[in-house]
Amino acid sequence: MSGKIDRRTTLAWVTAAAASPWMQDAMAQNAIAQGAAQPDAAQPGTWPNMELPPVTARGYGSDPNLVDPTVPWPLTLSPAQRAMLKSIAGAMLPGDDRSPSAASLPIDAFIDEWVSAPYPQQQADRALILPGLAWLDAECKARFGHDFAAAGEEQRRAVFDDIAWRGREKQGYQTPARFFARLRGLMMAGFYSLPEGMKDIGYIGNAPSTEWPGPPREALAHLDAGLEKLGLRPVR
Amino acid sequence: MPSHKAAPHKAANDFEPDAIVVGSGAAGGMAAWVLARAGIKVLVLEAGRDYDPVKENAMLKWNYQAPLRAGSTPDKHFGFYDATADGGWEIAGEPYTNAPGSVFKWWRSRMLGGRTNHWGRHVPRFGPYDFKSHSRDGLGMDWPISYDDIAPWYDRTEKIVGVSGANSGLENHPDSSPGVLQPPTPPRINELAIKAGANALGIPCVPSRYAVLTRDIPDDDVPRQACFYASPCGRGCAIGAAFQSTTSFLPMAIATGKARILTDAMVSRVVMGADGKATGVEYLDRHTGTAHFIKARAVVLAASACETARLLLNSKDGGLANSSGQVGRNLVDTTGTNVSGHIPALENRPRYNEDGKDVAHLYIPWWLYKEQAAGKLDFPRGYHYEIGGRFHAPGAGSPAAGLEDGYGAPLKEDARRYYGAQISLTVRGEMIPNADSYCELDPQVKDRFGLPVLRFHWKFSDHEYRQIAHGIATARAIIEKLGGTVLTPQLPPEEAIAVGGWIIHEVGTTRMGTSADNSVTDQYGRAWDVDNLVIADGGVFTSNAHKNPTLTIMALAWRSMDHLAARMRKGEV
Repeated sequence: MSGKIDRRTTLAWVTAAAASPWMQDAMAQNAIAQGAAQPDAAQPGTWPNMELPPVTARGYGSDPNLVDPTVPWPLTLSPAQRAMLKSIAGAMLPGDDRSPSAASLPIDAFIDEWVSAPYPQQQADRALILPGLAWLDAECKARFGHDFAAAGEEQRRAVFDDIAWRGREKQGYQTPARFFARLRGLMMAGFYSLPEGMKDIGYIGNAPSTEWPGPPREALAHLDAGLEKLGLRPVR
Repeated sequence: MPSHKAAPHKAANDFEPDAIVVGSGAAGGMAAWVLARAGIKVLVLEAGRDYDPVKENAMLKWNYQAPLRAGSTPDKHFGFYDATADGGWEIAGEPYTNAPGSVFKWWRSRMLGGRTNHWGRHVPRFGPYDFKSHSRDGLGMDWPISYDDIAPWYDRTEKIVGVSGANSGLENHPDSSPGVLQPPTPPRINELAIKAGANALGIPCVPSRYAVLTRDIPDDDVPRQACFYASPCGRGCAIGAAFQSTTSFLPMAIATGKARILTDAMVSRVVMGADGKATGVEYLDRHTGTAHFIKARAVVLAASACETARLLLNSKDGGLANSSGQVGRNLVDTTGTNVSGHIPALENRPRYNEDGKDVAHLYIPWWLYKEQAAGKLDFPRGYHYEIGGRFHAPGAGSPAAGLEDGYGAPLKEDARRYYGAQISLTVRGEMIPNADSYCELDPQVKDRFGLPVLRFHWKFSDHEYRQIAHGIATARAIIEKLGGTVLTPQLPPEEAIAVGGWIIHEVGTTRMGTSADNSVTDQYGRAWDVDNLVIADGGVFTSNAHKNPTLTIMALAWRSMDHLAARMRKGEV
């Protein structure tokens, strides 16, 4: 259970949640009203200035076949980019006793599908993630003299640790940190929506049943204990 | 599975309708069924394509089987599996425009059953105050009817639609008659948490009312089954548990033998005779653009509030049935904003199948009527909260709601810890009609059929901004009472409020009233200016209580169609 939460953590959560797809709907409303905010400027000298040709493939349209879904746009990542995503996925979500490594699941394929899609959100993610992968290579070359693929686990961790932790990003690494956070969110979406991920996280729905009995006793007991600590009366 | 009887694509040549119904959604479906069961031959014209909710829905499919994990895109705003076919905020070739400085979004469906195939299905009743709000606070206009006038039709509508929920006994939240409601569903853990926090602040939190069956409705022709507690309702419901026109009113109307349905028929104008009565309608075949005329004794418009207003404005220079000048005026939506919070007390909570009825099992009804009447609040009309938070089926977003950090083993722990530990309070409030919010024909822009399109004008007033500010502050207080952290960025109400149309509760454009001077129709939806033209959709709303409009649309449509049927039987039409 949680201990005390300091204000810094709270603010970090608010910032992170605002960037998450969970909040997209609310943010989209505001964007419509105000015009979307511009991303902050890239890091001079370090963040690669990539010319990305726009994806011009067609989307699935307003009336796709829902019973037999297909992805109509071609995938666009190179084998090297896919391999890089696979190894990042393995570091991001390693195997343990509850679920396999994300490197053993088609998470790289999911990211490819995502950044190759012809929609505004996905194109914005493409403009962050593709340069991000190039940045990882450049950063490894600058620091270790070889690209990301040749980097060992220690070296990769050293780079990740500069960009992966909220509020502890290395000075001047804000854009790479934004890339990492977005890639992390996408990899989590890809991973936890697969059967292996749902099993890990404990989603056990989408199972038709004649009755829905409500929360079991242990779930209610957990809630009541939490409410009691807050000085609130349990309700039914 | 119920036998959904597919409607014929083409009206048979020998079918000469007594009445034409334009639109096949909540209002059009109700109108078709009520008229058909009264023995009146009805032809339903639907602008969109035919749709089979049994064969075409994506119930029980997993998010990972869809593109982009079934997430929202401009092609499918509510996600890949949403039942909406050929619809959305934009429709190719059928634009609408915004006047300079206005932002209004218009959600349309182009499919049999219209928006009922995917709607939210939250069906609170309007109460006695809601029909007479001008008398209470001097704003807007009173309805020409009282709650007592419509109460019997609320009971009937709830019974035939199938509403699960419970009576609350609260002020201005009327109870249903005994035996009308189906049993409610037990609350989920996060809903109980919200209830505990709200109650501690003196705010009620009670069983919600949704058009989702918890008991079978047997029928020889159109049986409907109780919810099987899986699959999001927005995907459409093949078993008929979550109400939609395509598994209820439309096949029920067809089963009478008195109704036909014609899809891909875009009605372009109401055709008038020399005697000042409607002789029928002209429609365009959606595929060929060919115009057809169909004759009838009565014309019922149920195309949705704005589409019906557009049809009237396109039927005659200056607008048909518009001697009052009110067609397109008094356009309102529901106000909306969302406040979400993370609740540490809900972290790592025990897992169970939390899908339930998909919809929220509890809600927070407006509770400050007395304070408002006493002048203690700085805004005149109420709101409610639709509440959320549960173990959702993981999809295109992080299951840790963006709270995750780092990578590796700690990240996997974050996912487990934060999953299902958030709550949301969604404000839905009443907007008061104002002179700056309306729709009219755009003087230049036409759609692909050559028909002038709507241009929207929109402006909220301080009534709405102050109400939203109160809704945000109270939601934050509930989250904080639960020891939680508000995740929604704190914005001024002018920025936090959803843009016009966003809540998809647009009504009021052909309002009913007491005379041809102040309104477009009488209390039965009959146009003051055209005796055999009846409006059955949300256009007739005189005001728009915060309570989601569709139940009231259906109850009014039933009442108006009973009135029309009686007049037709007497030969008055």
